Amino acid sequence: MYRIKQLSIFVENKTGQITDVTTILSQNNLSIKSINLIDSNDFGILRVIVDDEQKAKKVLDDAGISLKISDVFAVAIDDHIGSFNEVVTLLSSNNINIKYTYTISNNHNGAFIFKVNPNNFNQVIDILQKNNINILKEI
Amino acid sequence: MTWNKIESARREDIEKVQLSRLKDTVERVYSLTPFYKEKFDEIGLKPEDITSLDDISKLPFTTKKDLRAHYPFGLFTVPMNEVVRVHSSSGTTGKPTVVGYTKADMDVWDEVMARVFTMAGATSEDIVHNGYGYGLFTGGLGFHNGAEKIGATIIPASGGMTDRQLMLMRDFGATILAATPSFSLHMAEVAKKTGSNYLKDYKLKAGIFGAEPTSSGLKKEVSEAWGIDYHEVYGLSEIIGPGIGCSCKESELLHVFEDHFYFEIIDSQTGEVKPEGERGELVITPLTKQALPLLRYRTGDITSITKEPCKCGRTMLRMESIIGRADDMLIISGVNVYPSQIEHVIANTEGVTLNYQIIAEKKGHLDKLEIHVEVSDDIMSDSLGEMAIIKKNIQSALLNNLYINANVILVQPRSLARSEGKAVRIIDKRKD
Repeated sequence: MYRIKQLSIFVENKTGQITDVTTILSQNNLSIKSINLIDSNDFGILRVIVDDEQKAKKVLDDAGISLKISDVFAVAIDDHIGSFNEVVTLLSSNNINIKYTYTISNNHNGAFIFKVNPNNFNQVIDILQKNNINILKEI
Repeated sequence: MTWNKIESARREDIEKVQLSRLKDTVERVYSLTPFYKEKFDEIGLKPEDITSLDDISKLPFTTKKDLRAHYPFGLFTVPMNEVVRVHSSSGTTGKPTVVGYTKADMDVWDEVMARVFTMAGATSEDIVHNGYGYGLFTGGLGFHNGAEKIGATIIPASGGMTDRQLMLMRDFGATILAATPSFSLHMAEVAKKTGSNYLKDYKLKAGIFGAEPTSSGLKKEVSEAWGIDYHEVYGLSEIIGPGIGCSCKESELLHVFEDHFYFEIIDSQTGEVKPEGERGELVITPLTKQALPLLRYRTGDITSITKEPCKCGRTMLRMESIIGRADDMLIISGVNVYPSQIEHVIANTEGVTLNYQIIAEKKGHLDKLEIHVEVSDDIMSDSLGEMAIIKKNIQSALLNNLYINANVILVQPRSLARSEGKAVRIIDKRKD
């Protein structure tokens, strides 16, 4: 519960590498909920959330593309100023280090995605629930 | 001009010196090195069986593996208080190949390097800019000592920092350049940026180049870029360092210093000695080494030797430029490295698969080494930082263990070229 599965897909710094990944995903009828590329000089990591991560892993493995599945959590965006700040302040005041975060938006709602140290995951969920933050079970 | 009159002695006199020194060396290793004694006993050979120079073919070979197996000082024949200097080259397990010198060995090294400088026309009037790296490598200090021996002024510039080197060469008025051919060409390219008449700022008249295989074309390029005579030097640390031989003004062939080293060309498959003029693997027996005398050391270098006399008057054998390797050794900016050593480093890096490819190419005139390593799900991370650490770990392991700068590039699994299912490990784009 509350563990959203994010794929981290290795992409070389070459034209067409992202297309290779997204073509495979769409040909296999996988829906991309979120996609975001981080890059260094010679390679990048494509962070993707899909509707069926196990299937995605299988088809990407078959195509010889390296990836890792990691747990992130999603907090529903409450549409008022400072909503993101509330979550971050809550975590930092409890000494939780945020590894990275990004926002996604779907048809009618949006979410903040967070990655924390896996050892802190359950503690984080506890803290957020106690403070009535709306954590999503799926996106 | 020769430094020592033995360089133009009659061949029978040279051979007389060789035989007496060979006998001493054989006696020395037999009595002082258990490794050689065992080898002799195995084949029933006694030092007194060596009565002529041709008998050398009865002696066992020595290889780099033997040196490694006796790391660090196992083959030394003198106590450490007689060893005044140690040098080393890169090794596989982080353990380098170690060589040692007594005071007498240093004198021999200085002597042969003095001959090299003299062959290049250098005297005590000259200012020598030494762009070979100083340190464990024999290049920097070998040239340094030789220049001091002839009384020249030595500028110990060492490697790198091209602009600063050029400034020193101009301001100090260097007349002799000692550096690798590729670095020398690179310096010329940089110097050219100041204008086509850049040569007016420099006083160079000759250069002594080595540590890298060089084609005639490359030699001509270096020579023209600097407007200087090109002298090629040959050497390897296991024998002494630079100073085994050098080319004179008359030809591209290298005069080798036979009174200190005995030269053979063998068939690297069968080990049979080849006749004069034929190409094969160069085997050298140092004749005067005290700290680390070796018998029939297999250099792995492919060349040929000739007794044909030279116009310069020197009578010692002449060797052609190294034309290749008997093994798969790569030379990257003057540093010798075997693909197996690189593989060892990769294998010892946590989380990395052994699917890799080594790509050597030229960037301008400098060697550039790229190592492509396939990522696996094991090293895949959602953090760029973590993945960059893997890249950095391999790079620093290569630098620390093998002294080579490489750019490690992570690539997709199964993306590296396979030839008939077998991985293509080395792509050397520097070859024509």
